[in-house]
Amino acid sequence: MSFVLGIDIGSAQSKGVILGDQGSLGSFECASGGDFKLTAEKIREELLSQAERSVDDISRTVATGYGSKLVIFADEIKSDIVCLAKGVSSLLPSVRTAIDIGDLYTKVLRTDGHGNVHSFILSGKCAGGSGRILQVIARVLQVKVDEIGELSLKSKKRVEFNTGCAVFAETEAISRLSQEVAKEDLLAGLHRALAAQINSLAERLGVEQDVAMVGGGARDIGLIRAVKEIRGHDILVPPHPHMIAALGAALIARESLTIQD
Amino acid sequence: MAEEQKEAKPKKRTTATKAAASIGPLVKEFITGTLQAKAEGKQKVAYTFIVCHHEEIFRALDVVPVWTENFAGICGAKRDAERFLQRAESLGLSRSLCTYALCGIGFDQWREELGQMPPDAPWGGQVRPDFMISSGQILCDPRSKWYQASQQFMPDVPIYNIDLPYPLYQVNRDHREVLGYYHQYIVKQLRGLVAFLEEQTKKKMDYDRLRELVGLSDRTWNLIEETYDLRKAVPCPMGTGDAMNTMVPINFMMATQKAYDFFVDLKKELEEKIARGEGEVENEKYRLMWGGGLPAWYALNDFNYFNSKGASFPAETTYRMVAPLHEMDLPETKDPIEHLAWRWLGYWTFWYDRARKRPGSEPDVERLINRIEEYKIDGVVMHEAFSCRTWHVGLIWQLHQLSKIYKPIPVYVIGKDGKKEKGYRELPSLVLESDIIDITSYSEVDTRNKIDAFVETLESIRTSRAA
Repeated sequence: MSFVLGIDIGSAQSKGVILGDQGSLGSFECASGGDFKLTAEKIREELLSQAERSVDDISRTVATGYGSKLVIFADEIKSDIVCLAKGVSSLLPSVRTAIDIGDLYTKVLRTDGHGNVHSFILSGKCAGGSGRILQVIARVLQVKVDEIGELSLKSKKRVEFNTGCAVFAETEAISRLSQEVAKEDLLAGLHRALAAQINSLAERLGVEQDVAMVGGGARDIGLIRAVKEIRGHDILVPPHPHMIAALGAALIARESLTIQD
Repeated sequence: MAEEQKEAKPKKRTTATKAAASIGPLVKEFITGTLQAKAEGKQKVAYTFIVCHHEEIFRALDVVPVWTENFAGICGAKRDAERFLQRAESLGLSRSLCTYALCGIGFDQWREELGQMPPDAPWGGQVRPDFMISSGQILCDPRSKWYQASQQFMPDVPIYNIDLPYPLYQVNRDHREVLGYYHQYIVKQLRGLVAFLEEQTKKKMDYDRLRELVGLSDRTWNLIEETYDLRKAVPCPMGTGDAMNTMVPINFMMATQKAYDFFVDLKKELEEKIARGEGEVENEKYRLMWGGGLPAWYALNDFNYFNSKGASFPAETTYRMVAPLHEMDLPETKDPIEHLAWRWLGYWTFWYDRARKRPGSEPDVERLINRIEEYKIDGVVMHEAFSCRTWHVGLIWQLHQLSKIYKPIPVYVIGKDGKKEKGYRELPSLVLESDIIDITSYSEVDTRNKIDAFVETLESIRTSRAA
């Protein structure tokens, strides 16, 4: 029996998955905080506890994500692009294009169903078009991030946002609130603006169906709907979409063991 | 007034060739040469732009060219452009204009305000010109406006504009039908330049000397082609990182014996490296092409980062501003001005016939395909410099067209029925985003994360290639 870990240290949230020979034995998510090393330790402890295992039982750990280089106990560091492809292909092998909505970036990648990446693109240095805008707006509206999706679906009259910039969007949201615009209409408008940017990025790379959305932003049902509307086709969302990179990292760890054997 | 702080110096980039390493002092030498020429007053000094095929005319009349794009690039490479960009911004110019132009305008305004070079001006600074020759609008739209803006601070400095067009590509129309009209027009433009320079320098053009210089340039073109062809070797002896240095003799020193001799030395060096089996990287795993876009001059170290991952760059499209003359079928003429015009047209239409033969292709895409095949390329890297409209027009489109019409990688994919199918895929590509000299647009961490992901993608493709 062998056990492997996949740890994804993101800029806002960090995630981990522990796999045994028969599949997943546990997963964990927490805020990344300011100390990535400590966060990685915390995730490992939690995963080991869930699987009732000790550090010595772990055969291999693969780290990914923004803070991956600070996972000092990792055996290997892989880019999140590669991990995302591996993770999404394992759950949805028909997917050829995956869109990852992260806190800092949106990433679009093309894969072949085996978990191999063929091309990818990332949003730019500016946070516009990434999931960060959802957190900003949640703070402005004083709602929880995970409530945004459901709330936006209640919209009757979507607000047209004039910007995709996270900073300008905050300013615009505040000014709209002063005009007594309903929160759900504002959120629907924001989803639309974000979806347009995501679509533009995807088109730059070129889209091949099936298309999946993953990452923390894919938990937002309102955003998924907005992207579907703009693209005009179905979007697949795997279970626990925010865990996909960590799952991919764990799968890569397991593959490495197989190759070594 | 804008903040006038310099940024931290970048880590020095490692070059693969001695020739590339010699470029820094060479550039410094010709910047110093412009300052000296101005101080001595024996030669006229003129602002101008690269890739206009007019260097021979300048040199035949002993006019010293000041390549203003080059000076902005130096400021960028030294991470000392920000204070000049901020100056231009404080004049009301947007940063989304060409940052080369902004840097130059900011510098000029400051120098004119002080009546001397700005403090710690890079390599002594950009000399005040006697006149300015703007040109090449079809290539780069900010060029003529740049000098008009600079002239606001030096109204006594005249501008002469030359227009150098070429027929744009049409898939169903042979450009040769209109080439003669373009040729006549360009010849008139160049003769106008000669007349203007004669008036400014009080000299008459020596056409024998001009013919010699044009001949020297032609020989240099051929030599550059032969030299760069050596980079087809596996492992590749010299990469794009070095070529961003060796572009200097191509673009700033053409029509000089020094440029020719430089490539004699580089060719010899590459031949020796090939004989020793010595590559740009010790263990070459991937061969990449710089498929377009000007580089981020302050981040040329990123080429070393690619190298550290086993990636070499045997080819690029940027700054390789020559093409094999013997393949151009240029009309014979003894008039050097007419030859310059034919060469200009031959260069810009070089890929037209080839592109027409491949459905869906286009000259720039055809050039990419040619280099991919000739140089055994595994992946394409491009740089979208936000302020460079010239390169932005069509960069992503080129990649899309390339991926549509050119799929060289055999792979197995999981079909809709869940079974393995053999198919063919496009070459992987990476688009880096920042700017030519505006460092505020750049993040080293993000860029290197992208490079990491791209290299892993290359590896993934290599291992998943169908037999």
